[in-house]
Amino acid sequence: MRARLCIVLICLSAVLFSGCQSSRKIETAQIIENVTISEKEGQTLYTFYILSSADTPLKTEIPAESFEQACELAQNQYIPNITLSKLELLMIEESLIDRVLKTDIEYISTQPSFSPSAFVTLCDRKTLEKFAESTREQDIIEEQLILLKKNNPAVNINYLSVFNHFETKKTSEFLVGTVSFDGELKIGEKKDIKNEK
Amino acid sequence: MSKVRFSSKRLLLTLMLCACSVILLQNYDISQNSSFVFNLLCMLCGLAVCFALFVPSIIIKKRTNLDFLTVAHTVTPKLKIPIAVLYSLYFVWAAEFFLLPYTDMFSKKYYSDVTPCLIALILLSACVYAALKGVNVITRFGIFLFVFALLTNILMFGGSTGTLDFELYGFEISGNLNDFIQNTVYFIIPAFIVTLFACLSGKTKNFRLRQPLFALLVTGVKYGLIMFFIWFSLGDYASKQEYQTFILARAARIGFFGGIESLYLALATMSVFMIISLVLCAVTKSAGRESDIKYVVIFAVIIFAAHMCGSYLNSVKEIFTNNYIFAVFTVITAAVIPSMYIFAGRKSNARKALHSINMS
Amino acid sequence: MNNSLAEILSELKADFSDSADLTIRNLTLKSERQIKAAIVTIEGLCDKEQLSQSVINPLLPYDFKSMKGAEAADIILNSVMASSDVVVIYTKAEIISFITSGFAVIIVDGAQQMFAVGVQGYSFRGVNEPESEVVQRGSREGFSEPLRVNMSLIRRRMKNPDLVFEQMTVGSESKTQLMLCYIKSRVSAKLLGKLKKRLNKCNLDSVLASGYLSEYLEDEKSSRLFSGVGISERPDTVCGKLTEGRIAVIVDGTPAVLIVPRLFVEEFQGVDDYSNRTYYAAFIRLTKYLSFFAALFLPGLYVALAQFHPEYFPTGILIKTSESLAQTPLPVTLETLAITFIYEIMKEAGLRIPKSLGHAVGIVGALVIGESAVNAGIISSSTLMVVATAAICSYVTSPLYPPVTMLRFIFIIIGGLCGLWGIVIATAVMIISMCSKTSLGVPYMSSLAPFSLRTMRDVFVRADWKSLSKHIIKVQRFKETEV
Repeated sequence: MRARLCIVLICLSAVLFSGCQSSRKIETAQIIENVTISEKEGQTLYTFYILSSADTPLKTEIPAESFEQACELAQNQYIPNITLSKLELLMIEESLIDRVLKTDIEYISTQPSFSPSAFVTLCDRKTLEKFAESTREQDIIEEQLILLKKNNPAVNINYLSVFNHFETKKTSEFLVGTVSFDGELKIGEKKDIKNEK
Repeated sequence: MSKVRFSSKRLLLTLMLCACSVILLQNYDISQNSSFVFNLLCMLCGLAVCFALFVPSIIIKKRTNLDFLTVAHTVTPKLKIPIAVLYSLYFVWAAEFFLLPYTDMFSKKYYSDVTPCLIALILLSACVYAALKGVNVITRFGIFLFVFALLTNILMFGGSTGTLDFELYGFEISGNLNDFIQNTVYFIIPAFIVTLFACLSGKTKNFRLRQPLFALLVTGVKYGLIMFFIWFSLGDYASKQEYQTFILARAARIGFFGGIESLYLALATMSVFMIISLVLCAVTKSAGRESDIKYVVIFAVIIFAAHMCGSYLNSVKEIFTNNYIFAVFTVITAAVIPSMYIFAGRKSNARKALHSINMS
Repeated sequence: MNNSLAEILSELKADFSDSADLTIRNLTLKSERQIKAAIVTIEGLCDKEQLSQSVINPLLPYDFKSMKGAEAADIILNSVMASSDVVVIYTKAEIISFITSGFAVIIVDGAQQMFAVGVQGYSFRGVNEPESEVVQRGSREGFSEPLRVNMSLIRRRMKNPDLVFEQMTVGSESKTQLMLCYIKSRVSAKLLGKLKKRLNKCNLDSVLASGYLSEYLEDEKSSRLFSGVGISERPDTVCGKLTEGRIAVIVDGTPAVLIVPRLFVEEFQGVDDYSNRTYYAAFIRLTKYLSFFAALFLPGLYVALAQFHPEYFPTGILIKTSESLAQTPLPVTLETLAITFIYEIMKEAGLRIPKSLGHAVGIVGALVIGESAVNAGIISSSTLMVVATAAICSYVTSPLYPPVTMLRFIFIIIGGLCGLWGIVIATAVMIISMCSKTSLGVPYMSSLAPFSLRTMRDVFVRADWKSLSKHIIKVQRFKETEV
């Protein structure tokens, strides 16, 4: 009995004194649901959309050279309790494909916090503007991406497949889904991405 | 502690779970340059070696119905202390071999803020409690862990079937001699269950040859499935991150339901808990003080101290987690030394002594 | 013992300290020798009318002629008394034991033997349906306080001469009677011997309820979190257990009968399972198991996820939960602990409060805590939902309520301090503890661990009766039973 009590007290004091204060509490965690990468005045802009129930999206725009830099700046300066493990959608403006796609996907592949099943898609500027107005667009885009994959298995819609296509020695070009806005959201155009070795 | 004999089937089930857990903490141990089929062949070789290592323990068990340590203490009482020292050292090493990667995985993949030593302390405290209850109780726990492992594996593999891609990666055989040696040595690691079996099988009944064979077979199937899904579902993505089985669990999704890495964490935790509990039972048995609280606590403190050294000193960690050293040590304790006793046990005075223990 | 009536009576008066309820009716038998006799009773315990009809009325007119005391006593036993329940006794201790059980003791001057006549007439609660074990299709009878009534309820259902009632006495002051009830052809003699040994070790002064004995019947060095001693107030349940080689301990003055050995899987078995259709019984059983897990783990998991792993919540629930928790002042762990504790207080109050005030308390509980506290932002609705769900689930398997409640608190604290990982470790320790527990040497987790395929027919599902009746289950035959 005494031995059990000693063990419990040791464990309890060890736990209390060594780090449960820094838990990621649900009420203070700022969970990022989407990230969009766009160009503004020649600079790459990373926009982090924070999960909330409001109709208007809660977002933070961070100018950075890469996703890695953007995440660091976000944590240090803008969003201290940032949590990226629930990231579901990454949208990249088409003009930035060559600049950021490979490096950012490479960075995401090395981080344990990102889910490899998160969606990746290219888009045009109008889509990004529309996206900034309402949070309902994310669900529509995700559903359409899944439908796209079902109709054409060759299209890559998540990190895993996009990354693996970058790495594999077999193919030199592969397909990624794109989103465009022309009066309404349209998903289905495929883009041939060059796999540069 | 219960004195009744329990089913050998249950002990082998528990050891099978321990062997399966080796791949849960796999971290670049399998060569990244060789193909899936090549790794599969290496796995078959490694497990065949494991079964060969089982043979001396099986012979001792069949002949005497006792565990190897009891036989050793009876046949050569003068060598009691060297045997105890050797096997105690082996078991402490085995505990570190699993504990260090586990706490490393936990810290890197789940929670970087918590110190690994705290994880080790709490886990070891729980293992001390389990070790005091004895092997029989731990094997009963193994039944629940088996059901949970089955569920987790079904979810993990089921959730990864959606991302299988056979176009990018094929079934070619590619690898060289170094890859073969590296992989085969890795797949000899599960032979640590042979040493555990040799030390803990004294109180089992109804032992059959097919039991260790079946245990290794199921272990092979699990290894094969995990390697298959890592290769065809994760592809090169897996080679970018540590602890690929964690990544496999992370990537698995059933519909919109994810979070299977939490089940993986639970499975890895319970497996390591079970391994270290069995190790503590075995190490106190090797010291001739089975389930004595003082000795269990002493060895737990030794393991904790070794873990602290390993956590803070990379060189110590590399020694403890070196596959080659552990494999050689396992071969010695699992097969070489028990083989010597197979011949020593044939002597008439040894036979008489063993018979009298059996009768009592 | 002394044959003199006067001395016996004076010793009795001295032992009872001239207690007002000790009643002595002195008689002079009709005989040439004027033989003195006395009838000793305890006021309120015997039926006076029955005493008059079966003892006094036949005794007074009988002519004993010139018989001596001993001869007269023989005649009284064999020819005079009209009662069917007569026990011959010889010692003062037996006099005390019988008169305090409602018997009337007849003492004849000069005779060595005395007679205890069964004329019990004390008031007792009738045979009602037990409130704690309500069933839909089973019997509505439940045990009552008197030992003999309970024995008769069992005997009526088991018309088997192998059914044995063995009497024992416990409590140095209360001298409480108890009966060990078992079926001789089914029970293990070693198990029975173990039980008797433990009951003999009971050194309590008074045993006022069967629960007092539970701790003496538990195995030493076995975990006390879950109980290895079953309790039932239903005769049909007890009879069912007796056929499996178990032993029932019926304690005088308590309707709760102890049954040993007790296994974990029995906590999920109910009388209705065996009366209902097999598919429905299976559904109810599985619901009970799920409810057990929900009651045990739900609040702890909720706290662990909210505190450490919010990303595991589905998106919709995540938004609602984080918004509701953000409005409350307390951290989620403290909030959950507080609501769980308040619930326990309300439950205890509900048990003891007079029925006339029950409505008011119900309204206060529901409105004040349920609605006002949430609207005021003191507690969050999601936490309240989780705790309420767990509380309701814990009543599905009410015998497990005490350990489930304690473990729930432990899991909440561990979840709040260590997250999911802590809950996993705690679960592992709990399973080890349960697997190491034995009940009279039978592993507590029998059927599950050690695993037995044959007995699994009645664990998660209930196989049909044709299948169940093929093999007789005897508890001493479970694997690794230490008898």
